[in-house]
Amino acid sequence: MRRQGLAAVAIIAIVAGACSNTSSGATSSVPSVSAPTSTASPSATGSNSAGASAGASGGASGAADYSGITGSVTISGWQSSPAEGQALAATLKAFSSAYPNIKVNYAPVAGDYPTVMATKFASGDVPDLFYVNADTADTWITQGFLFPLDGYISKYHFDTSQFYPGYASIFKGADGKTYGLPKDGNTIAMAYNSSLVQAAPTTLDQLVTVAQSLKGKNGLKAPICANPGLDRGLAFIYAQGGALLSPDNKTSAIDSAASQSAVQWYLDLFKNGLAMTASDLGDSWCGDSLGKQHVAIIFEGGWLDASMKATYPNVKYTWAQFPTGSSGSPVTISYTAAYSIGADSKNKDQAWVALQYLTGQQGMTEWTKGGVALPSRKDVPAPPGTEVLVNSSAFAKPGSGFMPGYNDVQKAFQDAFTAQIQKKTYDASAVVAATKAAIDKALNGG
Amino acid sequence: MTTTASTVAARTAAADPVGDPSFGWRRRIAYVVLIGYALLMFVPFAWSVLTSFKTLPDSVSGSILPSPWTGEGWQFALTKLNPPIPTMLFNSALIAGVVTVTNLVLGSLAGYAFARLHFPGREALFVIVLATLMMPDQLRLVPVYLMLHAVGLTAGVGQYVGVMLISAVVGTSIFLIRQYFLTIPRELEEAARIDGAGFVTTFAKVMLPLAGPALAAVAILTFQGTWNAFFWPLILLQDPGHYTLPIGLLFFRFAGGMQNDWPPLMATVVMATVPILVLYVFFQRYFVAGIAATGIKG
Amino acid sequence: MAAPAGARRPPGARRRRVSSEPRATKREWLAGYLFVIVPMLLYLVLNIGSMVYAVYISLWRWNLRTGPVRFLGLDNYANVITDPVFQKAVANSLYYTIVWVPLTMAIGLFLAIIVNQKIRGQTFFRAAYYFPAIASSAAITTLWLFIFAPDGIFNQVRGVIGVNPLFALFGIAPNQNWIGNEGTAMNTVIALNAWTTSGTFMLFYLASLQSIPSEIYEAAAIDGAGAWDTFRRITFPLLKPGHFFVATVAVIGALQLFDQALIGGGVNGDPNNALMTIVLYLYNTAITELNFAKASAVGIILFIVIMTATLIQRRLFGQAPAW
Repeated sequence: MRRQGLAAVAIIAIVAGACSNTSSGATSSVPSVSAPTSTASPSATGSNSAGASAGASGGASGAADYSGITGSVTISGWQSSPAEGQALAATLKAFSSAYPNIKVNYAPVAGDYPTVMATKFASGDVPDLFYVNADTADTWITQGFLFPLDGYISKYHFDTSQFYPGYASIFKGADGKTYGLPKDGNTIAMAYNSSLVQAAPTTLDQLVTVAQSLKGKNGLKAPICANPGLDRGLAFIYAQGGALLSPDNKTSAIDSAASQSAVQWYLDLFKNGLAMTASDLGDSWCGDSLGKQHVAIIFEGGWLDASMKATYPNVKYTWAQFPTGSSGSPVTISYTAAYSIGADSKNKDQAWVALQYLTGQQGMTEWTKGGVALPSRKDVPAPPGTEVLVNSSAFAKPGSGFMPGYNDVQKAFQDAFTAQIQKKTYDASAVVAATKAAIDKALNGG
Repeated sequence: MTTTASTVAARTAAADPVGDPSFGWRRRIAYVVLIGYALLMFVPFAWSVLTSFKTLPDSVSGSILPSPWTGEGWQFALTKLNPPIPTMLFNSALIAGVVTVTNLVLGSLAGYAFARLHFPGREALFVIVLATLMMPDQLRLVPVYLMLHAVGLTAGVGQYVGVMLISAVVGTSIFLIRQYFLTIPRELEEAARIDGAGFVTTFAKVMLPLAGPALAAVAILTFQGTWNAFFWPLILLQDPGHYTLPIGLLFFRFAGGMQNDWPPLMATVVMATVPILVLYVFFQRYFVAGIAATGIKG
Repeated sequence: MAAPAGARRPPGARRRRVSSEPRATKREWLAGYLFVIVPMLLYLVLNIGSMVYAVYISLWRWNLRTGPVRFLGLDNYANVITDPVFQKAVANSLYYTIVWVPLTMAIGLFLAIIVNQKIRGQTFFRAAYYFPAIASSAAITTLWLFIFAPDGIFNQVRGVIGVNPLFALFGIAPNQNWIGNEGTAMNTVIALNAWTTSGTFMLFYLASLQSIPSEIYEAAAIDGAGAWDTFRRITFPLLKPGHFFVATVAVIGALQLFDQALIGGGVNGDPNNALMTIVLYLYNTAITELNFAKASAVGIILFIVIMTATLIQRRLFGQAPAW
């Protein structure tokens, strides 16, 4: 039944495509940054902004002289909403006014981005400049698909110090070279229903207290919607002073006392009925749970705003910084994506010109003005209403792409964690053991 | 010769033995069950139609009827897409139409050969036909792309051709038609052969007219399969101007792909479903009294 | 032809066994080759070519961009076979196939017999029962998730009609999260797919049913056979080529379950690999790990499994050359 199977489920495949980009489908929501943060409905996008600043952008972006580089550049990426397409079109228009010598050909990839890109890498017929999501960065760098940028960075004195380190570090190879520059970023913060929660908890202890006061009230199914995986759990582990890896990234640290108790603390949220998974709430992701008022507190990134505005306009919610845990200092996790130049690109110089604009102060200001993305640079202002998320970039640690084989580690953690919830045993040591095994395997080269 | 009439009588008799006192009563219950089950089948489609007339907040609220009714979803679907819906409809119809015809022609020829003609290596070749169904597309993704790329079928109009070639004659089509030909009594073509007809004539004049139900099934399945196909079009149709309707459905995601914009998505789904439904209702007539209708007695 | 004793066969079918077939001639050979040449050329390139490529790269550590890195022999195969996740994927795919195929065939056949009757509103019923196969999968899946959600319609209904004690015997909670629970996720996918695909199988059987000569029903009616007897002794055995087709295609498809597993459980086959299937494993290996060599090993293993299943079916459904 394969053909008809494929055929009859064509539209399912759309969801499938969506799933493999944003990751899992119905049961959990692991937003990778292929979900880069839409914050505007199509009509709200500032499509006129291009003209306004285009004139100024010519010489302002620094001392580098690119006037000798002419030709064309093909740019590809996924497109997670029509609004994103419009925002990028506006940014590219501004680029064209600033660099009239370079013709831009924008070729978005519909559907499953990693699959389509795999065929392009195999054939050598790659776009010159394209998006690289943090969770594929390590593989793509290791396999030699991306062109190192260090030559261009030093030749044209491109200032990389303005990138938040949590974003930029993802795209460094094991050889220390830079294979991409973050085009935008997103952090995980706390969003809470502001009609149910009066004062935002600022520590994890307060979070528990607030959750206990909400339990069983206001028709909530649970106070908190939480993911049974590292894609949010890691933030809690960091907050409680735990970690996956030792500081030198050489050995596993998930079995340290701090990590163990952090995992146990997270499991206890479920055990005590303070948190439920989106799946057990009957929702597709925690954003739905907040919108349907199944819960009052969730942990998401900037992509939540577009969804709430369009789908649940009557639910009032507020962003607050990720609560501080026993580690005592603020921390959260972040997701990002980069622009990289293809190793087989035939227009690398032209691609670099576009790259330095798009990830530079001016281009990124233009791009984030479109309302679908948050800046990855300190010198680009946060779009209104996203200050909490952007400010968290300063202390956020990477939520993906920071170690080889992280997908397997995530899977091991989530499988074991889910099993503990479903068996109602809530034992952190089983989760830790499974995760440690996966980390050790990944560190030894899979 | 009153085969058709007697068929009906015989079939009715076989299914509903006359003289059973509980017959009428049982039949009424049967109808209720059948209709109830049938209505259940329409629920997803009805849900699609109703959702297409809702606002987005309403579409996730769990309400049954739209409140308020709005045409915004349809308007968005019909006016805001690039390429516009008519272009995608055209691309889908072009690819599905060509592929349906090639499957019918090539599938019936090969199906007949595998069912009736004797030639060395026939069984081995038929196993290859089955084997083509056993390889997941994810696996042949790279080699197929490399081959099509090498001969220039991943750019320009070649993109259409690449998609068409991959589905030009699906193993299922050959297999289905072959199985059908196997059940047709041999006497029919033997008579023609004795009259001196060649293989082509026998196939075209005797066997093909008998194959209505199988061809109808292949037509429905191929058209529907290609119309909805997602995997290869997504890989091979890179220029927006070549997009088919299923690719267009991707436009209705937002919030970084976390969420569907249900009303325009469902409006497009309804538009995509109707042609298949029409085609099905048209072709299902061929599912009637296949051999019996030819008036041949074995 | 292993029809049960006493079954009525169509006259043609009886004679088929007698070797009155015309002797194969050169002209017949030529016609045969000409009739199959186009599909065979396409398959040679697009399928056999891909297969050869897959077999070749499965023996290497392979870089997608630059090609062979190091010869590994059968290491990729050994790595796959010893991976517990792959073993779970095989077990899941086999379980799905064994349960889903007969279930869906039975529903499809039942529907086909119904809509093949001269009943009032035949077109309506035919369209209705085929509808799950053409209705939007996005719509169906969304509804399905809605129905089987913890507080969904299914759980509510069984609560109201008081059958929960029965479900409790199987360890199923009143607010069971059907798709999100390790124990029930796969069975829920089976139920969904049985429902949606039964329409397609109905179509196959409906086509098959047309080839049964009406004289046989007439004869049965004269013999006074009842509806069930007619079905059991005539219709069912005579559908054998149809059964073989449906069963073969169903098993081939079932062992390649992918889309619904992905929707139900994401790329990791959540929860806890309950929805991990062979093709999902292949997808992860190829696309997420970008290890096409290891993925090819998975594909070859899958191919061998499916081919074996198909050849067994061929045996079961009668002697190979006929069907």
